[in-house]
Amino acid sequence: MHAHKQLLVDVDNLTVHQGNETALNNVSVCIHAGEFIGIVGPNGAGKTTLLKAVLGLLPEYHGHITKQKATVSYIPQHGNLYSGLVPMSVMEVVKLGSAGSVAIALEALAAVGMVDAAAKRFLELSGGQRQRVAIAKALASQPDILILDEPTTGIDEHSQAEFYETLGGLQKKGITIIMVAHEVDTVLKHATRIIALNRELLYDGPPELFDAEKHIPNIFKARHEELHHGEHHA
Amino acid sequence: MPEIFEYSFMVRALLAGLLVAVTVPVLGSFLVARRYSLIADSLAHVSLAGVGAGLLLGFAPVLVAVPVTVVGALLLEWLRQRRGLSGEVSLAVLMSGGLALAVVLANLAQDGSVDFSSYLFGSITTTTPTDLIALGIAAAVTLAVVAWNYRAFLHIAFDEDSARISGYRVTLLNYTLAAMTAVMAVLSLRIVGGLLISALLVIPVVTASRFTRSFLQTIGVAIVCAMVAVLAGLAIAFYAGIAAGGAIVLSAIVLLIIAMIWKS
Repeated sequence: MHAHKQLLVDVDNLTVHQGNETALNNVSVCIHAGEFIGIVGPNGAGKTTLLKAVLGLLPEYHGHITKQKATVSYIPQHGNLYSGLVPMSVMEVVKLGSAGSVAIALEALAAVGMVDAAAKRFLELSGGQRQRVAIAKALASQPDILILDEPTTGIDEHSQAEFYETLGGLQKKGITIIMVAHEVDTVLKHATRIIALNRELLYDGPPELFDAEKHIPNIFKARHEELHHGEHHA
Repeated sequence: MPEIFEYSFMVRALLAGLLVAVTVPVLGSFLVARRYSLIADSLAHVSLAGVGAGLLLGFAPVLVAVPVTVVGALLLEWLRQRRGLSGEVSLAVLMSGGLALAVVLANLAQDGSVDFSSYLFGSITTTTPTDLIALGIAAAVTLAVVAWNYRAFLHIAFDEDSARISGYRVTLLNYTLAAMTAVMAVLSLRIVGGLLISALLVIPVVTASRFTRSFLQTIGVAIVCAMVAVLAGLAIAFYAGIAAGGAIVLSAIVLLIIAMIWKS
């Protein structure tokens, strides 16, 4: 079905061991230009590991990962965004993406509606605003592929909706989006393709045919436990 | 001319202090941003072990302390990258271990002509012309390396993974930052002292960050704070006859308290 689209990343028979555990077992995934891929699955399913494989951050793995020459930008989990004690201005953060260019940084801030915040401290902003600045930083590097790891976890619903809208706009401009997401229902609405993982590939196809209870029955149990025990996800 | 400038040792101490004040907050900003301030403290303690070894072997203490501390820094960074460093516990062991080794080695050396406490707390009388030259070279190299790689260091401070994805040589730069911190910690020993140097890495940065909106501003204001603290501290040490490091760090803390009251 993707025959006409350019193949960007080809993950072939990927197996990753972490300590004595198998984080990913024999996973094969092809990523084509222009897709909006939502990766879902319970905690510890290897979702982040798959992202790291695509990003080339895995020191050891079995299998083959072939990447076309493409600029990749990465947005970490909301909780892993900068929280250091030394202030950074929003402009400084976005300029990290634009290789110092103020013009490109302003353009990227405009794309996420955050130009007015350019002179503010990054840590003054709300969680949703910080995540938008993180997108601006990623956009400023003019990526072909945008990779996001649970970007909206811990952000209020209104900001989440805005966030997905921004992402949808980017995809229409031709940027390929790969995103690990906790909010399965929301992802189903926006993604063009769903990949469900639980250490192995459970589902890979269009969102319309995806049935969470059938394909990842564990996810609801896991989320239920999480809510009741207040556990942190890895 | 004030009395303080009539002594050549004092002029050397002031110059050395200013070199330390210009350089250390720059490194400190990156360390504090990444919450590594304890690492600097551990390195300073390791440098004291190097001084002890130098005294025992009969070499110039600083010549021994520089390689010992740089190796310590590289080891720490290696452990951190492997996540083998279980946070505070390993640092605490290294910190007290370094100091314990320093004391034992210095005792074994039993060289009555050397006042070991000057390495612990700093002194205004011990800066030699050679120390000053070494400090000048180290400061120039450190500032040049940071200026040259500023955007890379800032990107790493913001997020190591995305800096790596952007193509920066993160591992090499992390080792470089650790090694530069180690060298500056050793060369600051005679002025500020091994037990107090980390205060000069951290306090001016924290003071500055109460007023600033960006990283670059913070570095600039932190340098000014460190210079004020060093000049005030050395003057107090001179007139009151007390350890330079103590006076400098207390001056830096007074600035921090003023900043906290001002911005409360």
